[in-house]
Order: sequence, then C-alpha cells, then structure tokens
Amino acid sequence: MTGLVATLGSGAMTNPIPDLANSKCIFIIGSNFAENHPIAARWVLDAKEQGSKIIVADPRYTPTAWIADVFLQLKPGTDIALINGMIHTIIKEKLYDKNFVKERIIGFDQIKALAAKYDANTVGKITGVSPHLLQEAARLYAKAQSAAIVYCMGITQHTCGHGNVVSCANLTLICGNIGRVGTGVLPLRGQDNVQGACDMGGLSTVLPGYTSVNDETGRTRIAALWGKEDLPNKPGLTVVEMTNAAAEGKVKAMYIMGENPMVSDPNTKHVRQALDKLDFLVVQDIFLTETAELADVVLPGACWVEKEGTVTATSRSVQWRAKAIAPPREAKADLAIICEIAKKLGFEFNYQSADEVLREINLVVPSYAGITPERVKEKVGGLTWPCPTPDHPGTPILHSDAFATVERLGKLIPVEHQPPFEMPDDEYPLLLTTGRVVMHYNAGSMTRRSASLLKRSPELFVEVNPADAEKLGISADEEVMVSTRRAETVAKATITNRVPPGIVFMPFHFPGVNALVVEALDEKAKVPEFKVAACKIARGK
Amino acid sequence: MSKVIFMDLNRCIYCRSCEVACEREHNGRSFMSVLLLDERHPVPMNCRHCKKSPCVAVCPTGALTRLENGPVIIETMKCVGCSLCAMVCPFGVLELDYLSKVMRKCDLCIHRLNENKLPACVSSCPARALTYDEFDAIMQRVKEKAAKAIISGVGLEPGIVVSPPES
Repeated sequence: MTGLVATLGSGAMTNPIPDLANSKCIFIIGSNFAENHPIAARWVLDAKEQGSKIIVADPRYTPTAWIADVFLQLKPGTDIALINGMIHTIIKEKLYDKNFVKERIIGFDQIKALAAKYDANTVGKITGVSPHLLQEAARLYAKAQSAAIVYCMGITQHTCGHGNVVSCANLTLICGNIGRVGTGVLPLRGQDNVQGACDMGGLSTVLPGYTSVNDETGRTRIAALWGKEDLPNKPGLTVVEMTNAAAEGKVKAMYIMGENPMVSDPNTKHVRQALDKLDFLVVQDIFLTETAELADVVLPGACWVEKEGTVTATSRSVQWRAKAIAPPREAKADLAIICEIAKKLGFEFNYQSADEVLREINLVVPSYAGITPERVKEKVGGLTWPCPTPDHPGTPILHSDAFATVERLGKLIPVEHQPPFEMPDDEYPLLLTTGRVVMHYNAGSMTRRSASLLKRSPELFVEVNPADAEKLGISADEEVMVSTRRAETVAKATITNRVPPGIVFMPFHFPGVNALVVEALDEKAKVPEFKVAACKIARGK
Repeated sequence: MSKVIFMDLNRCIYCRSCEVACEREHNGRSFMSVLLLDERHPVPMNCRHCKKSPCVAVCPTGALTRLENGPVIIETMKCVGCSLCAMVCPFGVLELDYLSKVMRKCDLCIHRLNENKLPACVSSCPARALTYDEFDAIMQRVKEKAAKAIISGVGLEPGIVVSPPES
C-alpha cells in the first residue's frame, strides 16, 4: 500500500477486477489468483479468449501460470530486477508513452538512468529469466493498447516489498497504462474487507479515510465529529511491532479480533512467548483458534451470515451484506460486542445497527460520503469509492485525469534490486517460499474445520523438485523434516515440477510453517518477508 | 430438447469448487471429480447423461431411467447394486454405495433444476469452465468465439512458453 501511495497517491486497486476482461495484455506478478482469488480467473480467461496476451511471473508453475502466453519463472525476491529489466527494454526501444511521460508524471530521467543498468543479460543473471522472454514480455506489455498489472503477496511479502510495488507502478506509469478501461494496477488483497479495514483507519499511522495522525487539520476535524478536542497524534504499532513490544513487556494487554497470529504471523515460537508474557489477552473469534486457546477471555463473535453491514472489496466497491441467520447461542455480532465493551470503558457507543455506523462513516470519511445505507442496500454490486456526494455514481477507475498526489502527477521512484534478508547457504541450502492453496483460507481457522476441504488438502506438505528429492533421497508422500534457523516442522513431501530445483514451497494454512520464516520486515510497509527463507530438508521426523 | 453440462477444458483452473459444491448438495458425496493429468491438464469428470445411455440399456431392474428433461437417474428402491451400469459406463462415474448397497451417480441436481436453479457444480464454477445449456446453443457460442478469433488473427491454440531458471 505504501508503494502505491508514494507513486500514485492512493493505495488502492485502480480498476475493477471485471475490467481485466477489457485488457489487451495482463501482466501477473506474485499472484496465483487461479488458486487464491479464483473468481479473478474468469475475466482474465475472457480477455485471453479475445486475444489478450497473458504474462505470468512466478517462481512456481502455478495454475495461474497455465494461462500464460509468456511465463517468466523468476527466482524469489528478484521482482525489482525483473521489472527494471522490462523498463530497460521499453525505454531502449522507445515503446513508452511519450505524451503521458511529458504531461502526467515526474521523474522519468532518474528512471532512465536506473534502467540503463538493467539490461536483459544482467537481469537474466539475477532473476534466472532468459533475456529473450524478458524482452518479449516488455514489448507485449508496452505495445498493448491497454495493459493491466495484477499483483498480490508475492510482491508485498518481501523485505523489499515497498520497492516491488513502486516498480510495478513505475512500469505502469511510463507506459501510460492507467486511468483508462482495461489498464491499471490491481493489487489483490489477502482477505475479504481488508480494504475496508484500511479505509476505516485500521492501520498504525492513520485515522479513518487515511487521515495521517500527524495531520493536525484532518485530525481535529475528525476529533470534532467525535465530540473531542483532539486525538492522539503519535503513530501506533504494527502487528509485528506489537508482538515485539509484548515480548519486551511494553504492551501488557491485547484484544485480538478475527486474527490467528499463532498461525499467520512469522516466527510462531516468538509469538507464543510474546502472548504468554501479556498480563491479559482477549480473543474474539468464531472458533477456538490456536490463538484463542491462549486467551484469558474468549468472546464468541458472529460469522458473515450472522451479522450485517458493509464490506469493501479489494476493488474499492462497498457492498451491503444482509444478516441471514442469528448467531448461535451466546455468540454476538462484533459490533454489539465492541459497543458493550466500549460502554464498560466509559465511552458512548450507542449504535443500534450497522446503518448508524455507516451514517457516521458518511460524515467522517469524505470518499464514503455518498455511500449511504439507503443507496448501498439498493445497488447490486455496491458503490465504488471515491463517492463524495449522495448523487455521485462512484469511481470504478482511478487517476483518469489526475493522480492523488499533492502535485497531481504520477511519481516515478527509482528502486534498485536488493537481495532477500536470508538466502540459502551451505548449512541451509534450499530456498523456502510460502503461499496458499485453493482448498484453504489464511490461517485455516475456518477451512481446516471443513470435511470437504480437508479431504482434498488434509495436511501440511512441502513441494520439492524431483532433482532435489533424488539428491536428498526422499520419495513421494514421505514425511520429512524442514528446518530453518528458527524452527523445524514435519511435512509430507510432494515431489513436483511446479517448483524448480533449489526452491521448496509450503502452504502457511497449517501450524508450523510460519514458525520457519524470517521476521525481517520491509522498512516502509512493515510487511514480513514470508516469501524467502533458507532451509534444509532431512528424511524422517 | 434437453440441456447438458458442457466443459471448456481451456478454462478449468483446477480449483475443484465443483466437487465441493456437489458434495454440499448430495450429503457429503461428490459425483464430480476433477482429474489433473501431467500436473497441467485438469479434466472435470462427471456423468455425461448420454443420449443413448449404456447404463440405462443394461440395467436389469429398470432402476436407471432417463427423464424427459435430460437427467439419467437411479431409482434407488429398484437398484440391486449389481454394478452392470458401472461396467458399461465409458467414464467410470458410477459409484457403489457400500452402506446402502445401491449404485449412485450425478442426478444433474434435479432438485435444483426443479427450482429453476443451475446444477451446483455449474453455478459454483468461478472460471465459467462449466456451462449448462441446450447443446445447440452452446455450439453456437463456440462457433462465434472461434469466428471472432479467426477474424482477429488470434489463433485458437493457446501457446505456452516455459522458461526454467538457468542453474
């Protein structure tokens, strides 16, 4: 998100996902949507049937890569080099959008100087991608009438995640592939309503509507709406920083809602130590998760059909979700629980319904001002922000006339390739990358409770290339021990050409995987490097 | 005229939503299975509800019948579990229910069709690889798609270039 704010001025998906069907070229990097956002495949396949060229860059030959016309099998953590290499070819062959560069963006000279260093041969050595394929991809993307970039956690979950995102924006901007139908930058979010949570200020540095806590005017405006003189002006802690602070004894109590850090956060051993050190832990969830088991108090929340309110999709569309059934037994909608706790703490949280909350959002967040309960309940597919007035149709495509930066121009920011925090060595010779499988969702709190899904993906596995398997003497479905400097985890070996030699893959839906990965964070975005760690594999438990 | 489930193999992404949806509709038993060949080619396999069904032809008790609107179904009270239908089925999609000792198969979600809903596998396919329609209507759409491809010079064969990293 920070990468798009720096370059485009807004950290959100620029075009709706169905608009991909109108693209003439789709460049997918670090996203395996065929497994993780299967619905997105619908429109990519539609585009392909109409002649769109599909480029997929991924270390693994995933079901998403099956769709590709050009598949760039890069080494994990080399995305910046790959994109800079594409920019090199585009500038050298003068395929960039000259008018767009002149009128809508700044920083072209710096990018030109940067890209000069990333010729196809140099990039080939870093990424492992053959020079001719890289050039082919660059030409397809730059020459298409309209081209879109789709990315996901394969871009963001690196110590250079911010730089990866900036690189995607740089490529988009020099080709003028933004602000029109079939173009844009489409980051796919990891969970339902993450976009909405961020929009509402569920981040450490901002208030609702991305008002920075440092912005005095914005802050006091919101304070006034809430009947206060001012609000705290210091940034809070991010998730991983909170865990560290708990481990150091600086944070004494924690209230965790709908999150399972014992499975989803890096270095599980450290998370466990941190949570154990707390004086008081409250967990609100629909199941007794691995994290809830550690809590002093567990508050049973409601699942999505048991509560009402809006959800904001990854494409900024705000939709109303009606309640279908009542929560079971003592479980309650999260809104009701939060209101009760707030009242006990002495705050006036008297919301009778989600409608009332949305009315407050209409006042506090300018881009949601026109998304009233009446309108959003009526409109199938919802309304897309910015929607500043009650008669505004919404804005499915961002940056058509101007960017959201102060200068109203797109900013190119040169970024250099930077190797991952931990790379394989003699002791830990394999590169471990993590991700998701189609049968499970996030920490598996819900999907590991479904007989249908477990039948198809019952347990933790590690994908190993046949060449590595032969070297290690392991056979299919054998239990192996995967170890890193932090932990060791038992998994079943899946021997497959989906991963190249030297790289192994594990899905993080099962406990044990995030115990292995490094905690190193991206400096700006504070996202951990889930995608690269050094490991070794041995036979047996 | 009867409708059929049609599969566009180029669109299947092996998400197996169809299998899970079928299970949901049929008390935990799926009559759809997607086979993945060579780690690359997913093929959804279910009853084709053949127009000249070998299973109906050989069923000695008349348990297998073909309804007017298309589905080939098993009347379980008449079935004796002899498996003759399974022997003649070219697709291996008949199942023996060991508990109730009768054959089971895809019923085209007849309970959903009666409510004007699509079969569960079709309605849950995110990639729109599965469609349910009149055979002629589907063929017309395939023709139109191919015609467009010919005119725009796209070509009909998707090409895949694989570049393994150089070690």
